[in-house]
Amino acid sequence: MANVDIKELRKNYGALDVIKGINLSIREKEFTCFLGPSGCGKSTLLRMIAGLEDIDEGTLAIGNKVMNDVPAAKRNISMVFQSYALYPHMTVRQNMEFGLKLLKLPKEEIELRISETAQILQLTPYLDRLPKQLSGGQRQRVAIGRAIVKRPQVFLLDEPLSNLDAALRVSMRVELARLHEELDATMIYVTHDQIEAMTLADRVVVMRDGQIEQVGTPLELLHSPKNLFVAQFIGSPKINSFDVEVVGNHGTQVTVTGQAFSKPLTVEMANAANLSSGTRLTLCLRPHRLRNDTNLEHQITGTVQLIERLGSESLIHLDIGLPDPVISSSEGTAPVRRGDQISLRFSAQNCLLFDTQGAALPRKLPADAQALMGTDAQHVA
Amino acid sequence: MRSATKRLFPKADRWAKISLNFFMLIVAIVWLTPLWMMTIYASHDDQMIFSGSIIAHHGGQFLENFAELQSKQDFVRAIINSVIVASAGTFFGLVVSSLAGYALARFKFAGAKAIFAMIIFILAVPGIAIVIPEYVILVRYMGLSNTYFGVVLPYLANALGVFFMRQTFLALPQEIMEAAYLDGASELRIFAKIALPLVRPAMASLAIILFIACWNDYLWPLLVLTTEARQTAPIALGRLVGLNTVAWGPMMVGVTLMTIPFVTLFLLLQRQIVSGIANGAIK
Amino acid sequence: MSPKNRITPYAFIAPYLIAFGCLWLIPIIYSFSMSFFNTRARPWKFDMLHNWGRLFEDALFLATLKNTFLIILVQVPFMLALAVIFAVFLNSKLLFLKGIYRFAIFAPIVVADAAYAVIFRLLFNDDFGFVNQLLNAVGIADIAWTGSSAGAIALISISLTWRWTGYNAVIILAGLQSIPKDIYEASELDGASRFTQFLYITLPNLKPVILLCLVLSTFGTLQLFTEPTLLTEGGPGVSTTTVAMYMYQQGFKSFNFGYGSAIAYFIVFIGLGLSLIQFKLLGSKSDA
Ligand SMILES: Nc1ncnc2c1ncn2[C@@H]1O[C@H](COP(=O)(O)OP(=O)(O)OP(=O)(O)O)[C@@H](O)[C@H]1O
Ligand SMILES: [Mg+2]
Repeated sequence: MANVDIKELRKNYGALDVIKGINLSIREKEFTCFLGPSGCGKSTLLRMIAGLEDIDEGTLAIGNKVMNDVPAAKRNISMVFQSYALYPHMTVRQNMEFGLKLLKLPKEEIELRISETAQILQLTPYLDRLPKQLSGGQRQRVAIGRAIVKRPQVFLLDEPLSNLDAALRVSMRVELARLHEELDATMIYVTHDQIEAMTLADRVVVMRDGQIEQVGTPLELLHSPKNLFVAQFIGSPKINSFDVEVVGNHGTQVTVTGQAFSKPLTVEMANAANLSSGTRLTLCLRPHRLRNDTNLEHQITGTVQLIERLGSESLIHLDIGLPDPVISSSEGTAPVRRGDQISLRFSAQNCLLFDTQGAALPRKLPADAQALMGTDAQHVA
Repeated sequence: MRSATKRLFPKADRWAKISLNFFMLIVAIVWLTPLWMMTIYASHDDQMIFSGSIIAHHGGQFLENFAELQSKQDFVRAIINSVIVASAGTFFGLVVSSLAGYALARFKFAGAKAIFAMIIFILAVPGIAIVIPEYVILVRYMGLSNTYFGVVLPYLANALGVFFMRQTFLALPQEIMEAAYLDGASELRIFAKIALPLVRPAMASLAIILFIACWNDYLWPLLVLTTEARQTAPIALGRLVGLNTVAWGPMMVGVTLMTIPFVTLFLLLQRQIVSGIANGAIK
Repeated sequence: MSPKNRITPYAFIAPYLIAFGCLWLIPIIYSFSMSFFNTRARPWKFDMLHNWGRLFEDALFLATLKNTFLIILVQVPFMLALAVIFAVFLNSKLLFLKGIYRFAIFAPIVVADAAYAVIFRLLFNDDFGFVNQLLNAVGIADIAWTGSSAGAIALISISLTWRWTGYNAVIILAGLQSIPKDIYEASELDGASRFTQFLYITLPNLKPVILLCLVLSTFGTLQLFTEPTLLTEGGPGVSTTTVAMYMYQQGFKSFNFGYGSAIAYFIVFIGLGLSLIQFKLLGSKSDA
């Protein structure tokens, strides 16, 4: 297993800059997810690590060895493609053998590795079938198997589950997590499904437009997003955002008002802030922090525009006279109806503040998040 | 849906069905007549052919006609020559086209766009434009007169073949080739072991089309192959026509010999031939 | 693609490029330049207009050009109309035994030009041919297929139609089958008749494919050589001599390579010009 070090990596297609200077250290045995909107360069970055795309600038090191000019086959990596890319004219066994034979491994070794891998992935009964005689999930496992038999230092996976139906995706997700434990391998996993990223990854790399927006554990991304983009990209349903104005700042306490709120609210920051009155900020509040709980201090009032009943939760869209509705994630049986006039409550300590450039103002973490992430987490964001 | 249609045009449907089937039946008869008559004429002597009455049945003269044909001109040899030329032209044409088509489909390299544009342009330049200089170069300068090599060479640079194979390889998922590359396979191995096996049906179509085209070619072999021993079947046939001394029956035996194998082949491989033509033209 | 692999692509494409260079590129340039030389002089003498000027004064050349155009203007449209009809019928749900009809119409694709020319020469023989006998049987007098210019042109056209309609029908059929079925179903629900569907759905959707066939057929006819050579030997007189046959005569019978090349290039330019006009007229922006 090996660590992957990326320094100032750049790539362009003609005039189009696709990777714009990426710095990233991936630790040994870590499960890392690249997450970001479509077209942000996740696949390109992965393919540069694999050796399928040239590196225009910067360095890529795997296991502390610079790999820029090492051909893909010698980088000691394996890749699983979104489309599986199985050799259609070869049986499952031949698919797994192909690379091993090219490595000139002894026959017994090849046999051993294949039977072992087939065992792990429950593919033993299918070894002599062609890919077209397999189900989608089985094909996916063959693709993973083909990567495993090579015993690489690093596994690269590009949206490996996106071709599967929802149920299968969930079970393969669990299986991948198990595999990572079992193989104890460095894995880099591209996805635009944040649930996959949040459930699988040790650390998530959030990308936008060829750049890294934030690297952190799933919880760090949720509770201490570095900027407005990450706050809005991570979390479902999307975080609520409001324009607010600073009316007071005493040390670590920042008081703001906004059209949406009936009274000023005071947020506790991590460090003493220095904001003059009148400064414009964006305040964000996660939908699940907005509830019908009279113990909470602040409230938002509006008309119920739409209710999405998802079973265990209900998404309430509240029209508060602003262009965008406010969304609350309440319990599944919340007794509201369309057109009702209701008030929902929240606590100021769950609010996030961002300046006009979108950069986060580091806040003091609420107690529950702090408990989850450990005490030093507040300094991260 | 279907029943809704029926309700809309019940009568129209029946009449449309009858007239359409009848029309196509007539067309089929007319279209098959020349080939049918070819086999009939091949089995009669000239007396019968000149008789001025409609001949609608096969005669018993086929073997005699064949013997006479062979005595005037070694037609079997001509067919063998045709097979040699067409096989070589097809094989080497396939090799060259698939290599070039693969390069254009899989690699990005300086000049790729220019080469592809050139191929499209060449598709529009009729072969006739270069017959004369090709003749001057291959026959006059390179001395390839009356050689199979000289006939086959121009079949190697087949723009349609390259275009066809490029489209075919483009339709393969690139990721399969990339997976093989990551597995450590050389480009030649990826081509031979991964890409080629996957395009076998398309290659079969192209092979048939190339074979027919080579077999069919008239002007070029006419220019290069100057002796009776080397000439291909179409040239031999043309020469017989030109001689004006060969009876029709034997001549029709020649025509039958060079046509029936292809028509049979077509019967067996219609799907490949048809898809080859359609893909070469439309993709 | 695999990076750091600068030479491999060229290695793959080299055989074609070499063959292409020697057998197309050099000849194309060579023959074009040859058309500006007087190749009757020894040694060849550069003379810009010797051949190109002659083209427009050469009554024989103009006659062959006229013959060729006659076929392009009459036979090609007729054949393509027939090909559309065949393709539509072959694609119709109402037709039974499609395999047989497909075979009958498509089989000529594999018949060598020389072979079918000879068959038609016999079938259409003025004195004892099958066709005239058939006409006599229904009370029509012999037609001078090879003895009159009109008959000879008709004979060439009929032969070409037999040989090439199927080929074009294959292409058009593929075009037909790529038209999404649901358009037809939608229009059926709107109450459109079959004929309306043909006019307003089939034809417009087939336009690019028909245009392609038109261009291919035009180029093919401009190069027409084998059939008139073996069927009518260009006669009677020069009434079925084509430009390609004339080029052959000039180039390889009279060994006037320069003039032959000028004729060949004239054919190329006319072909390009005609296809341009066809693209314009049919107003297609399609890439077919
Ligand atoms: N071969 C290429 N030529 C030009 N541009 C390309 C090429 N490949 C990718 N791009 C561009 O590079 C950008 C990044 O592409 P990439 O495939 O890495 O995105 P991605 O993050 O993987 O997106 P997705 O989630 O949709 O897979 C896109 O804007 C894409 O259009
Ligand atoms: Mg991608």
